[in-house]
Amino acid sequence: MSVIGEILVAFLFGSVVGLLVQRSRFCNTAALRDAILFKTYRNTEALLLAMMVLTIGFTTFITFGQGHTMKFDVGLNQVIGLFIFGIGMVLAGACTVSTWVKSGEGNVGAIWALIFTFIGMFLFSLLWSFDYWPPAPIAMTGEPNLETLQLGFANAETLQEKTGIPAIFFGLIQFAVLLFIYLKIQAKKSLKTTGEG
Amino acid sequence: MDFFKKSLDPRIALVAIAFFDIFLFLILGAWTVGGGETMMTGLAAELIIGDKINEIPFWQIVFPPDFGYWKIYISLGMLFGAFVGAKLSNEFFWRFPGSLSEWVMITIGGLMMGIGIRLAFVCNVSTFFGLTPQLNLGGYLSMTGIIAGAWVGSHIYKKILKF
Repeated sequence: MSVIGEILVAFLFGSVVGLLVQRSRFCNTAALRDAILFKTYRNTEALLLAMMVLTIGFTTFITFGQGHTMKFDVGLNQVIGLFIFGIGMVLAGACTVSTWVKSGEGNVGAIWALIFTFIGMFLFSLLWSFDYWPPAPIAMTGEPNLETLQLGFANAETLQEKTGIPAIFFGLIQFAVLLFIYLKIQAKKSLKTTGEG
Repeated sequence: MDFFKKSLDPRIALVAIAFFDIFLFLILGAWTVGGGETMMTGLAAELIIGDKINEIPFWQIVFPPDFGYWKIYISLGMLFGAFVGAKLSNEFFWRFPGSLSEWVMITIGGLMMGIGIRLAFVCNVSTFFGLTPQLNLGGYLSMTGIIAGAWVGSHIYKKILKF
């Protein structure tokens, strides 16, 4: 696809997402924070449902060799990075989606969070230029490397290749786990309602 | 139109987004935000510091600034879509953080999000809507990190706001 085509598809996708998130007030930060602090699950349920649909969708297409999976080495930097991110998103009261969506609604705090996300990224680029960690995509090998705290690359595609079992099989297992969590939340909610009544 | 009068059930919104994300996965790649934001940072830095950006290896090796990077336009689309939604439902108005502590929390939170995304190579969107549904090991590592981070963040938030 041409660059212009890619830009148009991405913009169209983003616009639909922006509209749907704005109308539904979905927030990924709230999906985690509200479940932890208030034991309310309005956003958590939505997140789980989306993950169930995506797990089945992605692994079905991966089974037939379709789709563009994300390919890069992973390791300790994902745990530390998202840990820092997780604290940050709760403090900022918005994640990467809601900063854009709330900015579109005229929320100056969200615009401020975005500016400082960019500044944080720039500061990290300076730090990275000293220690070159985590390894740049061109230095990734796909194999575990303990020296750089990297575990290599593994996903539904590699699982299918290595085991000969279709990716959808593993997808169904993950779907069942997500469904179990979703049903647990439903049971908790109905218990709460009954208790209150 | 009812769509702009009542708020939409997030479960419906997110399932719809999931189907669109599957299409995007087939055409370009799954929904992500952090990569586009990083490219925007590089482009903004280039605009501000000019050729000096070439002296910072990160912007040569990892993210050479490029206006044609499709992920940028997902973010711009979200901004546009949200603006249209807010305008048509009369929900657009300028609002500001109410207290100094909120400004400070947003500043620190924003910085942490930026640093965290670059350290991890992924953001929350890739974690939940890309990597994990592709059964990528990185998705599980990221989920561990973000849930632990959100737990710590929630308790800091609770302490600061004293409820």
